[in-house]
Amino acid sequence: MLVKIAWRNIWRNTTRSVVVIIAIALGLWAGVFASAFVQGMMRQKIETVIKAEMSDFQFHRPGFTDEYLAKLYMQNGEEIRSKVGTEESVIASSGRLISMGMVGSAKQNGAIKIVGIDPDDEAAVTGLNEQVLDGEYFEGVMRNPILISQATAEKFRVKLKSKLILTLQDVDGEIIAGAFRVVGIYKTENVMFDRMNVYVRQDDLRKLIKIETGLHEIAVSLNDHDLADPMATKYQVIHPDLSVQSWLDLATGMRMMVDMIDVYIYYIVGIILVALLFSILNTMLMAVLERVREIGMLMAVGMTKGKVFFMIMLETLILTMIGGPLGLLISWAFVTYYGVNGIDLGGAYDEVGFSSVIYPFLDGRSYLDVTFMVVIMAIVAAIYPAIKALNLNPVEAIRKI
Amino acid sequence: MSKFVIETKDLCKTYEGVVPVQAVNKVNLQIEDDEFTAIIGPSGSGKTTLLNMIGGLDRPTSGQMLVNGQNLAELSDNQLIDFRLKHIGFVFQSYNLIPVLTAKENTEFIMLLQKLPKEQRDARVEQLLEEVGLADKKDSRPSQLSGGQQQRVAVARALASKPDFVLADEPTANLDSHSAFNLLDIMARLNKEEGITFVFSTHDQRVIERARRVVTLVDGEIVSDERK
Repeated sequence: MLVKIAWRNIWRNTTRSVVVIIAIALGLWAGVFASAFVQGMMRQKIETVIKAEMSDFQFHRPGFTDEYLAKLYMQNGEEIRSKVGTEESVIASSGRLISMGMVGSAKQNGAIKIVGIDPDDEAAVTGLNEQVLDGEYFEGVMRNPILISQATAEKFRVKLKSKLILTLQDVDGEIIAGAFRVVGIYKTENVMFDRMNVYVRQDDLRKLIKIETGLHEIAVSLNDHDLADPMATKYQVIHPDLSVQSWLDLATGMRMMVDMIDVYIYYIVGIILVALLFSILNTMLMAVLERVREIGMLMAVGMTKGKVFFMIMLETLILTMIGGPLGLLISWAFVTYYGVNGIDLGGAYDEVGFSSVIYPFLDGRSYLDVTFMVVIMAIVAAIYPAIKALNLNPVEAIRKI
Repeated sequence: MSKFVIETKDLCKTYEGVVPVQAVNKVNLQIEDDEFTAIIGPSGSGKTTLLNMIGGLDRPTSGQMLVNGQNLAELSDNQLIDFRLKHIGFVFQSYNLIPVLTAKENTEFIMLLQKLPKEQRDARVEQLLEEVGLADKKDSRPSQLSGGQQQRVAVARALASKPDFVLADEPTANLDSHSAFNLLDIMARLNKEEGITFVFSTHDQRVIERARRVVTLVDGEIVSDERK
């Protein structure tokens, strides 16, 4: 009977109840969709960081990434790479020579990171070949080919087959220079990364910086990103003289961002739910105050305070249980649709290394968490009006019997 | 020896305030089983306060309020609610039915609180609505009933728990003559045929005329107690 009374009470003021249900649904949709947007953005960022920039984990000589000194190379780099390649979880690995230097065109000069790669290995790890917009991916017989980004091409005002002069230090610290010709132009989702990196063939760079064997960097791709930390730890133990780091440590701030993202999502949903809480509380308080006489009568004729409390709680919970799933359904539809079609931000976040098109994503656990938070919110919202009802004195409520 | 259903001993109620108000002053009253009693008096004479204390809705400042020998002052709030549920039926001036329930559900409500089995509830609801002449309106909500009909549902609800007595506050105040007489007929019949004790507070001459006992209160004190 209590459920029946609570249900019918809700529909005594249909407009008000529908407004509250819509408010709950829209609030939930806003919270879930905002969370999905942030989570999708981060997920893409992580994929980009791993796929195009860091791979899952890397080997270096300690201190190499501080100043990129040519002399800090791993003598047995190829040997390490071969051994790592035997791991079941390893998809591919790429050995790199890296040098910080200057690049000069006929019209512009600037600092750049020169990455010497084996084109096939690099393609297997980063898919760099798939990022080429114009020209070729180190194909043909061109001498000293260089692959530059679209951002670099624009900055240095060069195009395919333009000549670029690279000036850098060799292994002995001597300044050397080499002429390279643009063979291809690439573009990743991270403009900041693109501006920093140019690619040359490893053998060409090897000759310039006079390192006959060895590598500055080994980048390894895994079939499961969650294995990056354990694998890095494992190989750090095997090679204590090297620095073995997962992408979480290599990409400055990424570990913090990943750790923060859950908290951030809870904050977004939390703020929206607090707003909703007051909306529901206000509505239920009105509903209780409008029925003071009726509630007083219920208590006068023998309805216990516990049952009165439960009835008010039930009304709030029913409202939430209608609005909540509705909101989740709308959220799921939006997240699913935009998860496939994406939301084009028109390059708003390119400059800070995020993709232009965001594909919202929310895992099943997050849906459950949000649902749980909504239920808790509804219970909290119902408590004050229910207590208000409890504190009614039947005599005062009905004025007289 | 007569059995007192309701017994008050030097019952007092003072409302504290800037100027304390002595609403009920040393009232000694015994109401026996089967009585049909009207408590009358001018506005502010303490009728409602007395009825509230008899019904366990308000607590006396001093004196004793006994119902079936039980001193209500000794009961906690929750025990009082339970006591009201088992022993007292209420009929309110403004009917105070639950607007979202039908006549049948309103009548059944008290029995649900008493956790009576469905068969028993159904039979009693049918019997009560029949007795108050609303068997054909059992599926109507209060908003679909006239004032007189609503008050008859309220009487059916008050009787549903088979209480020791029914307290009715100005039950005919909002009714037209026809509905009022109709309601009084029903209550008088229930009193006579089923021995249900009724205690009214009223201004209504029609009720006073039908009452078998009239207790008059003035300034919180009983000034007359007439039996017909």
